[in-house]
Amino acid sequence: MADKELDLKRMGNLPHWDVENLIGKMTLKSLLFSDDYRHIAIKGILTSLVMLALGGIMAILFRTELAVPDVQILGARVYMTLMTLHGMIMVFGFLIPLVVSVCYFLLPKVLGHERLIWAKAAQWSYWLLILAAVLLVIGRPDFTWTAYPPMSLRTGNPLLWMGYLAIFLVAVSEFLAGAVLLRNALEAKGGWSKAPLMAWATGTVGLLFMVSTIPLAFIGLGLLTDYLEITAYFDPSRGGSVKFFLYVFWSYGHPAVYLPFVPAIAVLYTLMPRFLGHPMWSYWSGVAAFILLMLGAIPIGPHHFQPLYTVSGWYERMVQILTLLVFIPSVLHVFNWVATLFMERIPTSARRAVPFKFMVASIGFIIYGGATAFINAQISIDSDFIHNTYWIPAHFHAMFFGFVGQMAIAGVYYLYPYITGRMYNQKLANSHFWLWQIGLFTKISGMFLAGYTYFPRWVYDYPPLPEWASTQFMITVGAYLIGLGFILFLYNFAVSASRGRQVEGDPWPVEDDAAAVATPAE
Amino acid sequence: MENALGLSGGQATLIAITAGFTILGLVGLAAAMFMEKRWKVSYSFEFLFIIGMLVLVYYADWNSKTTYKAYQAELRQWEEVAGTPLAKEDRKGVFDQVINVAAFQWGFAFINENNELSRNAAIVQPGEKVLFRVMSNDVIHGFNIPVANIVAEIDPGDVRELWIRAPDKPGKYLIQCVNYCGVGHAQMKAWLVVQGADEDNEETSQLDTGEGTSNG
Repeated sequence: MADKELDLKRMGNLPHWDVENLIGKMTLKSLLFSDDYRHIAIKGILTSLVMLALGGIMAILFRTELAVPDVQILGARVYMTLMTLHGMIMVFGFLIPLVVSVCYFLLPKVLGHERLIWAKAAQWSYWLLILAAVLLVIGRPDFTWTAYPPMSLRTGNPLLWMGYLAIFLVAVSEFLAGAVLLRNALEAKGGWSKAPLMAWATGTVGLLFMVSTIPLAFIGLGLLTDYLEITAYFDPSRGGSVKFFLYVFWSYGHPAVYLPFVPAIAVLYTLMPRFLGHPMWSYWSGVAAFILLMLGAIPIGPHHFQPLYTVSGWYERMVQILTLLVFIPSVLHVFNWVATLFMERIPTSARRAVPFKFMVASIGFIIYGGATAFINAQISIDSDFIHNTYWIPAHFHAMFFGFVGQMAIAGVYYLYPYITGRMYNQKLANSHFWLWQIGLFTKISGMFLAGYTYFPRWVYDYPPLPEWASTQFMITVGAYLIGLGFILFLYNFAVSASRGRQVEGDPWPVEDDAAAVATPAE
Repeated sequence: MENALGLSGGQATLIAITAGFTILGLVGLAAAMFMEKRWKVSYSFEFLFIIGMLVLVYYADWNSKTTYKAYQAELRQWEEVAGTPLAKEDRKGVFDQVINVAAFQWGFAFINENNELSRNAAIVQPGEKVLFRVMSNDVIHGFNIPVANIVAEIDPGDVRELWIRAPDKPGKYLIQCVNYCGVGHAQMKAWLVVQGADEDNEETSQLDTGEGTSNG
């Protein structure tokens, strides 16, 4: 069927790269400055993994602190610094760069350009982000990633200006990354209706990156000039407005959630047909969902802070309705994936492939964490137990780590033979997979329970209530399991590059042991 | 509903719907992975699904609006009465007690109707309807009373009115800040003290220095 061929093509379902030991052939110079898309992507992937390790060590430290009430390992300031850096490093340093880097690797072949257009911008984006990370680690801000003024203007940290500057640099870096994604998507061959879903994803999210980082840049600069007492945008004691900050910040802050989310969905749409050997259930449903997600992202930002007056005020009501409606495009994606998995017999090769396992698990977590968005959106329930209790970290860890993080790791496992020429160790990868699933489920469930019992966010110690102590302990156990899984992953990643099975030809052939019994040919 | 925002009625239904939705999704995923039978879902099924979602969105919005409006209605009623020079007895049925709360770095100050200040406790009677007028003049704070099912964010310069129905059981209940407000955030806690029946007279005599009592 011609239709099926077109579908296969526009979903990036063909083996694209020759398997080679790219990492082994790279010199320090090509790693740092080469504009070859694979080199940029590998650099991004490796850096993101370093960031994940950093953010993870911080998480392990403060999870240890929280495991038992009344026992102090870290002081309040150290705890808050670690917490702030954990948030910023994980989102700006791990999630967004990792999925974007995987997209950089996939785009040129999926779209058929054979090169990354505007690779120089991707290069600049990378180096600006590194500069921001260095500033963050030296400046050690302790104002949480949301930097709410006037608190963020007077935490007493003498190097606070570095934090604001880092926010500005992150904005510029993400703007450039968005420009690259959008530019490449616009060049998709054969017109819109034949563009792979990845082009739709990177196009819409690229645009979103470019629009939404403008307010973030303003936030970074505004905080800096406010801090230097040149301006007074956000400090009410000098005539500024906190509400102004909230509206501006969250018009970046909500899209910021989609900046890693949509590229992760794009990776999923590319890998799923690749492993199953048939196109997605619906192409246009995916396209519609991408467009709706992009349109919904900015207007619903205010759901991150509480309505100032009442739900019957038309603006707050509109935000609530739009937030509830944005649920629909996400559900369209999930529906599409589950329907695709249902279509034909799942080949044994897919069941065996670790990236495929991570992909299916990440769909599980998007369901687990995503469904709660439906009640988070309602102002009345939000004013009951959701706003700034642990319910919120539970929701976004399920989405960010359970879905985006795991999908990005699926991408890394998928690219592994293409960048090292060898296959990962199956046993270690399986252990990593199960440690993460059990750890994540324990951690996220513990967070949901803690939130339901009103455990507040951002505390380094808490009264020894039994329901709080038990849930905190549960979360810490989950975090340790995840840490253990990550160590296995790093070991596997490093060792298999020289000792793994050498791959010849297509590393991901679609094979089915029971092909004879399988569905009749179409 | 006692506290208009409490988890009963429509709220509980919506949480149940969400839980059902989660389970449906996970079962669907597991079935797609492990069931022998294959199924080509028809496109019209997705449209039906979207219509179902739209109905849910409508219901969720309606429920949230109704619940929150009912909560706000009590505040409006009070605002009308509060503007008129009425004795405290006439306000009964709206709120039994009004407590002004100043949230600061890092703690709460509670000022009752007799201008008595407490730095760590809001003292109320069992089952009483209490209005908190919460304000902040430094940074963004939070105000959460777990037992009363209420959580709010207080921006500097705002006066945010929140009401609760005090628990019937005498005792100490937690009041806490939930928005990060600086390095002392974790210590920003206070107590909602619900007075017991026997010590009631003693305590009231200490508290009531003025003309009348707001509650018997």
